This record gives sequence, structure tokens and C-alpha cells, in this order.
Amino acid sequence: MADLGRAALLVTFGLVVYALVAGALAARSRRRRLALSAQNALFAAFLSTLVAAAVLLVALARRDFTFAYVAAHTSRSLPLGYALSAFWGGQEGSLLLWLLILTGYAALAVWLNRRNRDLVVWVVPVLGLVATFFAFMLCFVSSPFVVAPAPGDGAGMVASLQNPYMLAHPPMLYLGYVGLTIPFAFAMGALLSGRTDERWIVATRRWTLAAWTFLGVGQLLGAHWAYVEIGWGGYYAWDPVENAALMPWLAATAFLHSVMIQEKRGMLKVWNMILVALAFLLSLFGTFLTRSGVVNSIHSFSQSPLGGWFLGFIAIMTAFSVALIYWRLPLLRSKTKLESLVSREATFLYNNLLLVALCLTILWGVMYPLLTEALRGETRSVSKPYYDFFLHVFGLPLLLLMGIGPLVAWRRASLRALGKTFLVPLLAAVVTGVALIALGFGSSTPGLLAYTFSAFVAASIVLEFQRGTSARHAIAGESYPRALVSLVGRNRRRYGGYIVHAAIVLLAIGIAGSSAYQTVREPAHGLRKGQSMEAAGWTFVYRGLTTHQEADAQATRATVDVYRGGSHVTTLHPGKNWYPVEQQTSNEVSIYHDPRSIGDVFTIADQIDPKSGVLFLKVLVKPLVNLIWVAGFVFVFGSVIAMWPDAVEQRRLAERYAPAAASART
Amino acid sequence: MIALSVAAALAVFILYTAVVGGATTQLSPSQLQGHTGHVSLVGAVVGPVTGDAHAASGLRFRVKDVSGASTVTVPVDYHGSVPDLFKTGRHIVVAGQVRNGIFVGDNGTLVTKCPSKYAPAKTTSS
Repeated sequence: MADLGRAALLVTFGLVVYALVAGALAARSRRRRLALSAQNALFAAFLSTLVAAAVLLVALARRDFTFAYVAAHTSRSLPLGYALSAFWGGQEGSLLLWLLILTGYAALAVWLNRRNRDLVVWVVPVLGLVATFFAFMLCFVSSPFVVAPAPGDGAGMVASLQNPYMLAHPPMLYLGYVGLTIPFAFAMGALLSGRTDERWIVATRRWTLAAWTFLGVGQLLGAHWAYVEIGWGGYYAWDPVENAALMPWLAATAFLHSVMIQEKRGMLKVWNMILVALAFLLSLFGTFLTRSGVVNSIHSFSQSPLGGWFLGFIAIMTAFSVALIYWRLPLLRSKTKLESLVSREATFLYNNLLLVALCLTILWGVMYPLLTEALRGETRSVSKPYYDFFLHVFGLPLLLLMGIGPLVAWRRASLRALGKTFLVPLLAAVVTGVALIALGFGSSTPGLLAYTFSAFVAASIVLEFQRGTSARHAIAGESYPRALVSLVGRNRRRYGGYIVHAAIVLLAIGIAGSSAYQTVREPAHGLRKGQSMEAAGWTFVYRGLTTHQEADAQATRATVDVYRGGSHVTTLHPGKNWYPVEQQTSNEVSIYHDPRSIGDVFTIADQIDPKSGVLFLKVLVKPLVNLIWVAGFVFVFGSVIAMWPDAVEQRRLAERYAPAAASART
Repeated sequence: MIALSVAAALAVFILYTAVVGGATTQLSPSQLQGHTGHVSLVGAVVGPVTGDAHAASGLRFRVKDVSGASTVTVPVDYHGSVPDLFKTGRHIVVAGQVRNGIFVGDNGTLVTKCPSKYAPAKTTSS
């Protein structure tokens, strides 16, 4: 069995090398048949990778411990679902997942764009290049098909990974990371072929959007996992590995916006190339961070065979993209210039600068310990205050721009027109700000700004929908609900985008509420039975301890009655689990979702003294935190609308770019 | 335009270092000697672990270098939340300051690092 897997990977390696070499030769010498055969090699590479993946899945399902990988990551008692999830639980398997998704995406993207011949001939070798690296790693550096004498039982899986989130969160992130390869390959293909018009952007718009959506959802899932399972009361800790997913997402967000400028006005061509390369390189860097453990424990760096290879590949790809962009600079000159600093284009530009600045400051923070160690021999690191500062400085203006952008006209906006469109959102913002200060929410300036800006953005989004709907109602004579549906249906990108903006507003409100206005009560002293503590108007009365035996753990639970204003609201059971096999305890938090504040009352049994029954209870009251998870659903809804195939748009694009193939469009 | 934005980014950076202050130095036990300032101590826990993080005396243990031949250990006194994964042998980071030969940890700053092999980063969250 393992032989089959190894053979399949070798075949994949051969095929992708062929796609790279033959593809490049064919593109250079314009040999159509050779180009087609390189394309076919890419399709076949997907099939052979699929075989390798199937072999590993079957081995995991059968707990075939002759596979060293299976023995290291599963055990007989591990439920089937988690055994299968071990596919991406370890380094070798997750590399295989990368390659599987990459070859799958590559085959699909090339097939969908097969008519775009002059562009695709150069996309094939670029995809081949990226796939060659991963296939090489899997064949010769880090193979999942290493065999060893089977041990009696496998090593099992870490308790915190035995969790339903493990089934969804890592594959989502990988679908996102790998997805960013497609727009990158098309961009580089466009540079190589000299077809630097907007076709590569049109061809990959949905790919970027899909990858970006997966990456976003993957991160939210991770945040929710951390929130309900890890038990420290938060959802994001600016951990290097969390940042690893955030950075390419921010770069891709900037890219998604700036390509619109290129489509509409033919500007920012160089910038878009830089952004797409940045997003791809950061996704490689993210995989590298997650897999090598270089930042978490710097010392594993020299021991991991992966780190050096990955850094080398990242360096090669960086040099490759920089050289290509530099070489094609003459072709990337924009035909138009920014006409005014008050225009739609300009707001997009500001949005881009802020997103990239945020992304790079995070990158700087992640790299900081490595850089200081290399340069000064002393590791220095930055933490939450650093990231929070830049999130405020760059994130809040970004939030505001989201409301301003859609209201500003293209090319040049007159101040009078601006005043008119800004009136309602501005009023909404001022009213919200005054109301919040009156209610005593002025305690946090960033929080107050976040809410005022959110009100502004929300009002401007509602206004956009209202304007469009009334116009359709007046012109087409449709009823209001019908007008709304057809408005969105006919302008999916625009209104899908606004829905995503609404999701970001919800996210901002949720984050601001649960961080700027949260109440944390550390256990100052232990509670005895019958004693109570208070937090933000809530009273917590400790009633006693219970213990029971779970399948693989001894569970201790405290009974805590929760009151608000004298009336009993709920009973929570925070506690601890003791896993005798792993010799490990884990916090089991208990959360009450409060519908009134759309927030949570979050209790942690920080310490339990089983003899005296004394409980050290930590309480966090986090208003509005549930909006973060609601935002996730709205985000997906908006993205799907923006992505949904649109026959009208396809026809328009086909007309626009049909002559472009014949004569280079100006 | 680009020059302007670079200047703006630089200005923000300088503002940051002025307002919030710089980074924290991470030191291993063998490097700690002579440092009296506020630092992050990175090391592996050496038993015995005694005391109580919520009592006046605090949780007491020693840490040694994660790698290398150094046999230096540093005594630590810590108050506040203790992560689930904390135990002898585990790699930890704790912020604090040396006082009278004992590294006094800041309240609630103790974080465990995961054994890098198959744990996701999330388990390191404090």
C-alpha cells in the first residue's frame, strides 16, 4: 500500500516537472501541441495526487500502523472521524493536502480558461513550478509513506485536537492558502506572456474571492474554537500562527479592492502585481510558520528539515516575482492618472495603503524575534499592545473608509455632492456618538470611535440599498421587495460587496464590545460554598462541586448560580477535566449567551481545591461578542452573492475582451 | 504619493515607540544573570512545583534552558492563572523581573508553549 502511495507521488512529481519544463518550452516556442500536453500533465497530476491521498486516507481509516505517519498520529481507540482528520494533523499529511488542493485547483482553473490560450500557456508552467516544490518535498524530504515495523498501538492524537473544529478549520485555511496560488499564477502568466491587460484579473476574480472567503471563514472557525474550547476567555491572541492566516487575508483584501480600479480605470497595474505576489508569498510564509514551528520554538528550526527548504522556496518565488514585475514594468504603465484626491479611486488607494500597512506591521511583529536574534543575539518580542496599537491606528480609519468609499464619485467628486450624500451617515454617526457618551461608553476612545464609525458605515450601506431599490421601484415599477432582489441580482459584485462590508461592521462592533467594554474579574480570593462574587451587574453564587467520570477523563464541575438584579438567570458549570492517559488537565469553561446584550457571561474555574472545595472563579462579561459569529454568516452570504455566476456579466466581459486577443487593447 | 505614505507609516511607527514603548526582551535562564529590568523568561519547567498560584506565597518552581548544555536554573515565584498544560518539563514563557535572586512573575502572564510536533498553535494561547 505504501508503495502505491509513494509511486503515485513520484508520478505526480514527474508530471508537474513536465508541466513546468514542457509548458515553458511550448510557451516560448509557441508550440500548441506541446502546450496541450503540458496542460494534460497538470490534469493527470491531480489524478495521481488523488491516488496518493486515497492511499493515506485508507491507511488512516484502517489504522495501518506500518505507516509511520499513521502510527504517529492515530491510535486504535481514536474515533474514525478524528483518525481521518489526522490527514492534516501532521506535517507530511498537510503537505499532501496542499499538493492535492493545488493540483485540483490548477486543473480546474486551467480547464475553465482553456480558451484563453495565449494567457494559459504561461500559467501552466508557473503552476507546475509551485507544484514541483511541494511534490519534491513529499517525495524526497517529508514523505507520508515512510514505513516502519508496526507498533502495537499508535501514539494517538493530542486531546485538544479531538474536536469537531479540527475537521473543518484546517482544511478551510488550506483551501484559502492554496487558492491564492491561482491568481498569482495567472498574474505571472500575464507578465510572462506580455498580456498585461485585465484578462488575468477577470479570469481569477472568483478564485481570489473564494480563497479569501475560505481564509476568512477558516480564521473565524479557529477563533471560535479557541473561544469555546481553549478556555482563556478570548478568541484571538495575536499568536504568530494566527497572524500567519491574517496576513495573506489582509493582502488579498487589498488586492480584491485594487483590481476594481484596474478594471474600471486601468490604473495600479504594478501595484496589483505586487499585491497578488505578496498575498501568495504570505500564504507560503503562513504554511511555513504553521508547519515549521520556527517562531513558536525557535530551536526546532535547525532540526526541522522543512524550514530551510521552505525559506529557500519563498526566496526563489520572491526573486521570481520581483524580477518578472521589473522586467515588464514598461508594459504595466497605467494609461490614466489619479485625477483628484477626493474620488472613488483615491479612497480605494487609501484603503489599500492602510491594509498593506496593517499587514506589514503584523509581519514585522512576527519576524521581530527572529530578526533581533539574528542581529543582536538577543530575542526580543512584541505582544498585544503592539498589535492593538496598529489595529487602532490603521483599522479604525479603514472602517471609516468603508463607509466613505461607496459614497464618493469616480474620477472627481464635488464637495457639494459629497455634502449631500454624507448628510445621513454623518448624522447617524453623530447621534450614535452623543448617545454613547451620554450612556457612559466614553470610557474607551477606540471603542467609541469604532461604534461611531460603524454607525456611519451602516447608514451608508443602508442608504445605498435604499437608493437603488427606490430607483428600480420608480423606473421598473416593481414592488419594493422585488426591486431589492433584482437590484442585488443585477449587480451581484457591488451589493455582495456591501453585504460583506456589513459583516465587517458587525465584526467591528463585536470585537469592540467584547474587548473595549468587557469586564474581567480575576479571582482575588477563593470562594467557599455559598459565597458569591459580582461582575458588571451579575452575581455569581457558588453552590458546590460535583464529580463524574467521562469516557476518558475525570470531570469536576462547580455549580454556579447566576443572578441579574436579584432574579435567577441560569446555572453554569465551569470545571476541569483530568485525562489520566495523557496526564493532563483541561479547563472546561461554561458560557451563558445573554440575548439582551448579544454577549456572553463566560466563567472559568481557574483553580479548584478538591479537599476544601474552594473555587477560584474567573468571570468575563463580554457584551456583543456573539455578533462576531453572526458576522461570519453574513460574510459568507455576501461573498457567495458576489461570486455567483452572472450571465450578463459574462457576456459583457466576453464582448470586451474578444477583440483584446486580436489586438492588444489600449 | 508613495513617498508621502512611506513618511506617514514611519511617523506612525515613531509615534508607537514613543507612546507605547518598545518590545520585551526574551531571555533564557542562562542569559538572565545580571539583567535587572523587565523581561520575558523562556525556559523549561524543573520540578518540584510547590505552592499555590492563588495563595500569598505563590506558585514556586525553577526553569532551565530549553536547549544547550547550561545547567543554570532560575527560581520563579508566580501568581495568577496557570495554563492547563503547565507541568514539569513543559516550555514556558513568563514576564517579570528578578528580585532578590528570585524571578517574580507578573500576575497572569504565564504561558505554555506547545510541544511543536502535532499540536496546533491554539493550545499555546494564554
